[in-house]
Amino acid sequence: MSLLQVKNVTHGYGSSNLFWQAKRATVLDDVSLTIEHGQCLGLLGTSGAGKSTLGKVILGLEKPQKGQILFQGIDLYDTNASTRRHLRRDLQVVFQDCYSSVNPRMTAEQIIGEPLQNFESLSPNEQKRTIGELLETVGLSPEDMRKYPHQFSGGQLQRINIARAIALKPKMLILDEAVSSLDMVTQANILTLLKDLKTIFGLSYLFITHDIKAAYTISDALAVMEKGELVVQCEDKTQFLQLPHPSVQRLLQSILSEHPRSRSL
Amino acid sequence: MIIDPRYVLQVSGLHVTVNTAQGTVPLVQDIHFELKPGRVLGLVGESGSGKTITSLSLMQLLDRKTTRVEGSIRLNGRELNGLKADTMRSIRGKEIAFIMQNPMNAFTPVIKIGDQFIETIRTHTSLTKKQAFELAVTSLEDVNLPDPAGIMKQYPFQLSGGMLQRVMIAITICLRPSVIIADEPTTALDVTNQLQVLRQLERIRSEYGTSILLISHDLGVISEMADEVVVMQHGRIVEKADVYQLFDHPQHEYTKKLLNARPALQINQPTKEFVML
Repeated sequence: MSLLQVKNVTHGYGSSNLFWQAKRATVLDDVSLTIEHGQCLGLLGTSGAGKSTLGKVILGLEKPQKGQILFQGIDLYDTNASTRRHLRRDLQVVFQDCYSSVNPRMTAEQIIGEPLQNFESLSPNEQKRTIGELLETVGLSPEDMRKYPHQFSGGQLQRINIARAIALKPKMLILDEAVSSLDMVTQANILTLLKDLKTIFGLSYLFITHDIKAAYTISDALAVMEKGELVVQCEDKTQFLQLPHPSVQRLLQSILSEHPRSRSL
Repeated sequence: MIIDPRYVLQVSGLHVTVNTAQGTVPLVQDIHFELKPGRVLGLVGESGSGKTITSLSLMQLLDRKTTRVEGSIRLNGRELNGLKADTMRSIRGKEIAFIMQNPMNAFTPVIKIGDQFIETIRTHTSLTKKQAFELAVTSLEDVNLPDPAGIMKQYPFQLSGGMLQRVMIAITICLRPSVIIADEPTTALDVTNQLQVLRQLERIRSEYGTSILLISHDLGVISEMADEVVVMQHGRIVEKADVYQLFDHPQHEYTKKLLNARPALQINQPTKEFVML
């Protein structure tokens, strides 16, 4: 059984007015994909392609108009609240904007402790020890526990977000542009961290990004979304680059040169 | 300091400090660089290395109450550091212009693009409203935006990030400044828009001979556009070199670290050829 199955999901946004349905923008159009245990799927696409909406639908934050999300074989939107809560424990998320994903008035300890309090009944000492361990796992020191978000840099705060996401030893992480706003050095460090965590905890990722290089570095399989449709799906990333599909070629052409000699401007 | 006519912008001994409760803290120290006409100078470094502080101090946009800017900033031979706020305001936008990282925050959300555009033009010139409108439409056409007259009537939130960034470039170039400071102009954009915006900048440089100070943490952007590169770390310049020199023979440890931090995509070369087939 696959870890996650997205089956024919269609979703749109729009406001209905009093007399008739006003124009409705279709954001996801019949999207289907699967993610196996321990697999990382890189989801590429330009802004407005519907990548983030798909992420939200999978997380259970946005009920799709049509289609099913099967996580560990159970439909996320067609089950009772307690099962759903139980499933969501194994499905965590890291967003792009690290500053707005944390409460500025909470310390790192409270931020990472929140999921633990919600799902585990640990004694205060145990909880503190777990948080210290988590901070070390993501490359920070246990002393950072007392600090507030504004005392961290963007990269450090993203590590806190990752620590919070892995606190409950989930099976899957949705990484929605998780490294896009970071500078190159930090980006490389976070990607290495994510790779390591994947091997240690056997995590699966849905890595949403517009950056083909980052996606290529971390993913096993790659997919491309365009205007709400999944236009390319490729199980083997090495084959992906050879695909003659126009949207793959467009992505490859948009890569900036690595050396001034190969300028494309 | 001797005024050298070969340079449009000459920065020497730039030193910025900020007053905090714990005393004065230096933000950037000992910054020296020159910008030649029609050239692109890249400024790289990771976040917190002082790139933006440097650019803001050039524009004299730092809070004068809490920060101190020492050193000399010469634009076409004229000293900018210490100019009165009023005088500076007449230079900003006309002779030295600024493209910000986040186009969404750079516009007033409640005023139409056209009105913001015309306001900028009329502040610096004696054009009538109608003439300003025409100038605005032409420069929107210049940056390849479809239906310029329609865009003039829209609000910032009605445009996408990439379009808004091009509107900002249009505003920047319509007064033909001699220097453009582009602070992470493509960081907030996706890859397709990124290339388009860079193409616009490149075109401005070749058509109008504008000098560009290009600030970025992305070495891809630098390698596409810059002629010379300045590498910053912890508020200091650690290396200054020609772009080829820098990519082929980085001298400083930190530069090597930056170059190695790029996500490796060795497929880049073969696929470029593949595309051309």
